[in-house]
Amino acid sequence: MITVKELKKDFGENHVLRGIDYEIEKGEKIVIVGPSGSGKSTFLRCLNLLEQPTSGKIWLDGEEITDPKTDINKIRQKMGMVFQHFNLFANLSIMDNITLAPVRLGLMTKEEAKEKALSLLKRVNLVDKADAWPAQLSGGQKQRIAIVRSLAMNPEVMLFDEPTSALDPEMVGEVLEVMKELAEDGMTMAVVTHEMAFAKEVATKCLFIDEGIIMEENTPDAFFGSPQSPRLQDFLSKVL
Amino acid sequence: MAEWWSGVQQKFIAAFITGDRWQLYLKGLGTTLEIAVFAAILGVVLGTLLALMKLSKKQDGRKTAATVVADIYIDIIRGTPSVLQLLIMWFIIMKNCTNGVLVASLSFGINSGAYVAEIIRAGILAVDPGQAEAGRSMGLSGKQTMQYIVLPQAFKNALPPIVNEFITLIKETAIVGYVSLADLTRVANQVSSRTYEAFMPLIGAAVIYFIVIKILTILLGKLERRMRRSDNR
Repeated sequence: MITVKELKKDFGENHVLRGIDYEIEKGEKIVIVGPSGSGKSTFLRCLNLLEQPTSGKIWLDGEEITDPKTDINKIRQKMGMVFQHFNLFANLSIMDNITLAPVRLGLMTKEEAKEKALSLLKRVNLVDKADAWPAQLSGGQKQRIAIVRSLAMNPEVMLFDEPTSALDPEMVGEVLEVMKELAEDGMTMAVVTHEMAFAKEVATKCLFIDEGIIMEENTPDAFFGSPQSPRLQDFLSKVL
Repeated sequence: MAEWWSGVQQKFIAAFITGDRWQLYLKGLGTTLEIAVFAAILGVVLGTLLALMKLSKKQDGRKTAATVVADIYIDIIRGTPSVLQLLIMWFIIMKNCTNGVLVASLSFGINSGAYVAEIIRAGILAVDPGQAEAGRSMGLSGKQTMQYIVLPQAFKNALPPIVNEFITLIKETAIVGYVSLADLTRVANQVSSRTYEAFMPLIGAAVIYFIVIKILTILLGKLERRMRRSDNR
């Protein structure tokens, strides 16, 4: 579904991604871990071109999204993204946060979008917050809304960039729960996270990114049970 | 005492009542407000446009032509006195135009735009970049993201300094007397030269300016609170 070839990203003299090749199949749940500054968030952000790669190519469903002629806005409609800091639109109510993109992009009428939003809000038990402002919600609620906002676009794949890192510990569970349900429904997911228990339980593949390359890739059992590279062994010994 | 009081009354009557002079002040105030309102609207429209031009960027980070144009515009306007801009507009650029209020409005609007541009640019920069990223990540275009997400928040940020700019603008229109437009200040000045008595007309005009600006401040304060409702916790 997503193919990445020779992906490199420099920030000035700083070579953050130094050549990444990877393929994500439909329905897979990829969990990406690694030390901070390793490039894992940059990798995720390259997948929907929030970061413009320095070189390399990315395809979604056979369409090369790194081709300058590709309409990236059309591609992004198929790729939901959830951010560490939620990024709910501060000037809009929860309902408007969810319906803005589907309506303005002409994918749904206002009524359809509202209906869709309400059914999604029901799924995350936040129907009563439809008319609230983002500032009135807790972090966990904001992140669940952010997930709902992405899902309202009916994406083919969901990217999660450290979705629980900015949350108070007691709110991490409610967000992971929503993500687990999403995974069970068959959504294709790529998740950058420090939640190792989530990785073990949900991932179909775990990636260890360090120094801008995929240093190790395996099924969760092997990834956590018998890590090969010393770097990963060292990393896991610190985080587990 | 009684003599002093009747003197004050006579001066008041001479300044405001005789020959229905109060109508002159009212007309003058009308001219002042007409110029200020048109200029404020033009200033905000121009300012927003200039702010967006200044913030436009090429992918390699170099300045765009739009940025250069906006920079030059702002430099020229801020680098020259507004009286001079008004005189240039009046006697050179639009010397054949008979609508004095229009010429003055344009001149002040063009002037105000340069200042509003910097206010709005700061307002845009104060919006968390994550807001725009979230918009773009859903497939909204840069323009849609700006229009529905960033600019509304930028205007909210920018409202207090914009109110400041409006207030300055209202008072600055007093220089239209230079091109013999009968605004509030000029009317007061004319009356005082007619009655040989400066106190009543000048203080009167000052009080009128004060009241108008006070009312404006209250109204815009209400607007600001309304726009801040999304911050309620």
